[in-house]
Amino acid sequence: MQIRFTPEQDAWRQEVRDFLDAELPPEMGFDVEFDEDEALWEFSVAFTKKVGAKGWLGLNWPTEYGGLARPPIDRMIMSEEFEYREAPLCGSISWGLTAGSLLAGGTEEQKRYWLPQLGRLDLHAAEGLSEPGAGSDLASLKTTAYQDGSDWVVNGQKTYTTWGTHADCLFTAARTDPNSKRHHGITMFLIPYDLPGISMTPMMNLGGGQQNHTYLDNVRVPEEYMIGEVGGGWKMIMNAFYGGGIHAGHAYYERTFAEVLEHCRREKRRGRLLIEDPLVRQQLGQLALMLEQARMLTYESVSNYNNQIPPQFGGALGVVVSKEMRPRFFEMCQEIVGPLSQLKPNRFAPMGGQAEAWYRQSYANHAGGTSQVKRMVLATRGLGLPR
Amino acid sequence: MIDLEFSEQEVLLQRTAVEFFISECPLAKVRELEDSELGYAPQLWKKMADLDWVGLSLPEEDGGAEGSLLDLYVLYLELGRALVPTPHLTSSVIAGETLARVGSPEQRKLVSQIATGDLIVATALMESDGDYGPEAVQLSATPGDAGGYRLEGTKLLVPWAHVAGRLLVATRTGPGPDGTTLLLVDPSASGISLERLDNTAGYPLFAVVFDGAEVAADAVVGEVNRGWETLTPALDRATVLQCAEIVGAGEAVLEMSLDYAKEREQFGQAIGKFQAVQYLCSDIAIDLHLTSLLARQAAWRVDSALPYQRELALAKAQAAEASQLMVRQAHEVYAGHGFMLETDLQLYTRRAKHWQFNLGEASHHFEAAVDAL
Ligand SMILES: Cc1cc2nc3c(=O)[nH]c(=O)nc-3n(C[C@H](O)[C@H](O)[C@H](O)COP(=O)(O)OP(=O)(O)OC[C@H]3O[C@@H](n4cnc5c(N)ncnc54)[C@H](O)[C@@H]3O)c2cc1C
Repeated sequence: MQIRFTPEQDAWRQEVRDFLDAELPPEMGFDVEFDEDEALWEFSVAFTKKVGAKGWLGLNWPTEYGGLARPPIDRMIMSEEFEYREAPLCGSISWGLTAGSLLAGGTEEQKRYWLPQLGRLDLHAAEGLSEPGAGSDLASLKTTAYQDGSDWVVNGQKTYTTWGTHADCLFTAARTDPNSKRHHGITMFLIPYDLPGISMTPMMNLGGGQQNHTYLDNVRVPEEYMIGEVGGGWKMIMNAFYGGGIHAGHAYYERTFAEVLEHCRREKRRGRLLIEDPLVRQQLGQLALMLEQARMLTYESVSNYNNQIPPQFGGALGVVVSKEMRPRFFEMCQEIVGPLSQLKPNRFAPMGGQAEAWYRQSYANHAGGTSQVKRMVLATRGLGLPR
Repeated sequence: MIDLEFSEQEVLLQRTAVEFFISECPLAKVRELEDSELGYAPQLWKKMADLDWVGLSLPEEDGGAEGSLLDLYVLYLELGRALVPTPHLTSSVIAGETLARVGSPEQRKLVSQIATGDLIVATALMESDGDYGPEAVQLSATPGDAGGYRLEGTKLLVPWAHVAGRLLVATRTGPGPDGTTLLLVDPSASGISLERLDNTAGYPLFAVVFDGAEVAADAVVGEVNRGWETLTPALDRATVLQCAEIVGAGEAVLEMSLDYAKEREQFGQAIGKFQAVQYLCSDIAIDLHLTSLLARQAAWRVDSALPYQRELALAKAQAAEASQLMVRQAHEVYAGHGFMLETDLQLYTRRAKHWQFNLGEASHHFEAAVDAL
């Protein structure tokens, strides 16, 4: 057993830090998921392309697909450093989900064609999986595609499409066999947004970001935009792993915790520094505990990879923990900071109003699936309880 | 005898309020008001005054209805359920009741204007450390011209200051444990400025900055150096009502979660059939119900002039925690849909954040409860 980084890994961390020092002024750190400011978005795209140009978005991918074939721990280290600085890395649907799906189920030709573009953010994909009637039950999706000559004609409605208005194409799933049920007969497409028949309406969210309803009305999609095999969509979605490698989810908590801790060291209540208040100390302890749990779950993923061990508990335990932790963590941050934590950025708002935003954003914890459903995976696949 | 039910009169009042707010203040209007400059609807406020609700607990001789706290309690259940934005709590209850009880003859004249809704008085308590209590009052009131006071400092989270004709300001005039003095101040006086504080709830909250503002000696409400003590009965009553507002809103959150659980289908069935979702809904019901029991007890004890410190503190501690748990579980039921602004749940989620902290958060009231043991 060993829980430490090698000198090479420390050097890599330093390289990442140097890059961030050069490319990310501290005031430009922000959460791309929850900011609709156009100028910030443009900065985020330019920044992400710089990361892509270094080959770091696809750091773990094989070199023939534009990656650097580096081990997952390096991507995790990079993710830690990026999260600490709130680096506005965008396009996780491109180099994360879409690339991960291609790596899992794309043909050799498709991988060689698409992955280098995704890894440089030359192609920005949005995710079109969920539908109004298909959330947790994705296999009930109703969007259809039929073949007409060398085109596929796609019809249906997708929802919650994040970054739809910024992306170049929609990575989506459609039913290509009209007689199929549930997870059979589903095929993946990467549909360019500039094809006729695609429209969107915005949905603003509680965190300050935007999702979209996406309407596909007789969209004629040339066959080269079909991904994987006809009817192979479900398998691809299920086998897809995150193309961004091991995400250092704990580092998000680490950064926010550091801000709260700093606040407690600086601010007084009833003539006493918050850090000296016994109740606040207990609450900080709780936050530190949640953070440590998250960190060990990330490190376990690295260890599993190194030891070629499949994740325990159906791979669901870490997801359940992180989804359930998020609102509680930020509720507690606000309890520590007190009533002024309800203030948005203003000269009177503690920590520049950040606690206020973290709390609202914490209810995005259902993106990608709910903890209830993941608990069922944990209990059945993970613990062997009957379905 | 143990009887936790509301009286016939209270039930009647509640029924009237339910119907009134359904027609006068649907959630579409709540959304509209949140984005408006005023933050409340003057016509609606006027109609509430005509129903005697604005002065519900104020003395009859001041034009009030001299109702009980339980009367107010049922009104607040409905204000919470419908998320009606009004300055009632700060103006009618905290300031109005205090002025009616200890105000000078001159100050008492304002009470009848409060009861008719023509005058709004906003109470200014909190300062930069966010604490609730006399120790946190640091805004200094030092001797000024002609026996008056000179004010220096900043009040935060002052509700409705932008529409207030007067501010009831807690100031520091002497050493603790109280040492505070209440001053009735005209916010348009020179040396006073307002800054809007945008916040989670979209509630009209302000910073009120006092930069050498002068007030006359007759601005003092009650006794010098006993300000917090003077305010306490009204703050306690307001705290019960804050609990009631949380209960009313919680009932709405439960109802909308149940509706959603019945109507949203996944895997070929209503999600409400899944035990996971049933557990979430029952969590909301349990916390809400416990809050209602404790809050009703506190209201009854206050009305009955029985000691109530422990019961009140526990009720608000429970209500503060429930306000968060209820919306957290409702967001689990709604999943992605609940995160979208088009869904009404978020209106409750955001206001619950204000209520959690208003008039003391859970930790404050746990302390108070233990003090009262
Ligand atoms: C911020 C955000 C961004 C998103 N971005 C995208 C995107 O870009 N592209 C995209 O395609 N999708 C996106 N989504 C959608 C997301 O994937 C879905 O929200 C998620 O899959 C859950 O589906 P749902 O919201 O429809 O909830 P539902 O499936 O309707 O769930 C409602 C409730 O029912 C419960 N439930 C459902 N089934 C079961 C069961 N079998 N047993 C027990 N309980 C059950 C759930 O746990 C939950 O409590 C996004 C969502 C959010 C919040």
